[in-house]
Amino acid sequence: MTSQVAVVVVIDDDLSVRESLPDLLMEFGYPVEAFPSAEAFLESDWVGRTRCLILDVAMPGMTGPELQRELTARCEDIPIVFITAQQDTTVRPRLMAHGAVECLFKPFSDEALLRAVTAACGPT
Amino acid sequence: MASPVSLEQSIPGAPLTSIVLTEELRRRPARGPEYEKENRALASLVRTLADSPSTILQTLAETVLELLEAHSAGLSLLTKDATRFYWAAIAGAWQPHLGGGTPRDFGPCGDVLNRNAPMLFTHWERRYPYLGSALPLADEGLLVPFHVNGTAVGTIWAIAHDQRRRFDAEDLRLLESLSRVASAAYQAVASIKNLELEVAARQRAELEIRQLVSGLEAQVRARTSELERSEAFLAKVQQISNTGGFSWWPATGKILYSDQMYSICEIDPAVPLTRELARSRIHPDDLPAEQEAIGQAVSAARDMEYACRLIMPDQRVKYVHSFMQATRDAQGELVYVGALQDVTQRRLSELALNKVRAELEHVARVTAFGALSASIAHEVKQPLSGIITNAGTCLRMLAADPPNVEGARQTAMRTIRDGERATEVITRLRGLFAHSQVVTERLDLNKAIEEVIALSRGDLQRARVIVRLDLGQNLPDATGDRIQLQQVILNLVMNASNAMSGVEDRPRELTVRSVLDEGGGIRVSVHDTGVGFKPQLAERLFEPFFTTKSGGMGIGLSVSRSIIERHQGRLWATCNQDHGATFVFCIPREARELTDTKV
Repeated sequence: MTSQVAVVVVIDDDLSVRESLPDLLMEFGYPVEAFPSAEAFLESDWVGRTRCLILDVAMPGMTGPELQRELTARCEDIPIVFITAQQDTTVRPRLMAHGAVECLFKPFSDEALLRAVTAACGPT
Repeated sequence: MASPVSLEQSIPGAPLTSIVLTEELRRRPARGPEYEKENRALASLVRTLADSPSTILQTLAETVLELLEAHSAGLSLLTKDATRFYWAAIAGAWQPHLGGGTPRDFGPCGDVLNRNAPMLFTHWERRYPYLGSALPLADEGLLVPFHVNGTAVGTIWAIAHDQRRRFDAEDLRLLESLSRVASAAYQAVASIKNLELEVAARQRAELEIRQLVSGLEAQVRARTSELERSEAFLAKVQQISNTGGFSWWPATGKILYSDQMYSICEIDPAVPLTRELARSRIHPDDLPAEQEAIGQAVSAARDMEYACRLIMPDQRVKYVHSFMQATRDAQGELVYVGALQDVTQRRLSELALNKVRAELEHVARVTAFGALSASIAHEVKQPLSGIITNAGTCLRMLAADPPNVEGARQTAMRTIRDGERATEVITRLRGLFAHSQVVTERLDLNKAIEEVIALSRGDLQRARVIVRLDLGQNLPDATGDRIQLQQVILNLVMNASNAMSGVEDRPRELTVRSVLDEGGGIRVSVHDTGVGFKPQLAERLFEPFFTTKSGGMGIGLSVSRSIIERHQGRLWATCNQDHGATFVFCIPREARELTDTKV
């Protein structure tokens, strides 16, 4: 994998998610990078080469929706699939209205994730 | 008009001889005596003396005025200290000068007393200038001394203010006659005065005695009514406080009970209440303890106090509390004076209160549960999410051609780990929200704090609260109920988070600190940068149902405080200097024994 390859980026402060999701996505055939926070992602040089973001909503520091706004402000048009452990049903419509491709409630099935990622960045 | 008395110090003027005309009396033709008139006057004086002795001197002055056809007349009496004459009675023109007087040794009266003989003066103001102010001036003045027991005590006098009246020998005879009446009148008045004084003294003494007696009577009455009142009071107090009194002589077994004892033991007042009868009311389970306590106290002649249950004929149970004080009676015998109070109502209230308190705590826990449900869901869903993802990955790896067995093994291991994590979260939650009994154990408070923070992490994150833990190293274990203490910490953390929910102009910082207290206990503080509270509300915060939150029930802090107090600790709140509040609790390392809710 060269530095020019576009990747699916997973951003979640929870270790078990950062460990399990990349493996599954790689099983789907996508190259993956994982970050523990939105700030760490923004500081990396992957921002311009991200095909799709799998983004946790609630995180310490910058939250998922805040990163979404930041990216919009930077004219980085990256498709976003939100993932959240929150029960709040009002979250999904709000995020979708702001341009998210999908919002998945944890725990979600591998098929649901595959459908969302495919919708976001097309088949591998 | 200036009083003549004020002129006493005047310098003497003309010589005495220039103002004395006594010799003239013999030279002047005397008028004929009018005995009838004189007798009438004397008779009248005697009547006056008998009927109204207090006016005799004035009557005498008026008689002189009348009989001598004088312009003024009066009596001068020597004062007790013999330094002055005072005009005791005056009739006629000089009447306004009543009460005035002259010095003993510088005036006509003095001259008369010195010579102990009648004297006739003319214009005495020429020698005694102060008399110049006694107007009208005396053209002539005739003075006769009078005596009591041979001592001259005063003068009786008549004055002519103009030349139309000239005193003669007949006037002198009349005045001398009246001077004897004056003498008698003086004595009568003096003895009356003495008598009056004596009577007054007796009356005073009698009055004093009467006052003394009535004072004593009042005291006796007061004491009596006090005694009656205090007896009635005591009975009332016994009735109101449901306290019976008794005196007990252990040596002879003699015992006296107050009425209230009968009513507490529900025994007919007509039946003699014996110790055996009273003891038959004691709950059989409490009887041995009561017997032992009393036995020990009596053998050492100590005071004692015990609580026990009484059981009534209809099986109702009463809770009583007894105090007995050991004293000695007049014969030196040991006697116990005691009180037995029926505390059933208080006891039942306490039990009810404890029940309510336990329910309240449960409600508080459930409320906290509601507030935390999102956080709980989050905490459980994170590992569940990992488990499901891992399981999916694992299946895919095994289904691949060739199967990725090593990858599958790793994801399966992660699945197990996440499963354990989910179990751990659920176990913690069940502990925190179960309606559990008080459990005393040794516990690491730092670990307890970390667990609470872990549980509420999701909530705190969503509330954008930055959590700082400043936990003291090498803290000793505390003793207490871990779940209850964690509930307190959770409550304080949630309150802090809520207090910061509207804060936008500064970081929402939550600092939980644990330190060893100076007293050897452990102190935990929860510091926030929220809206804080008004200092005057510092104590009200802990009242049940006091809340500043629209959705809050206001029982969290009051329950928290009761939990901490049950650990023999303290919970209080302070305002921070800059922003927000700090809630602090302090518990001893070794709680002697938890005060159980089930008293």
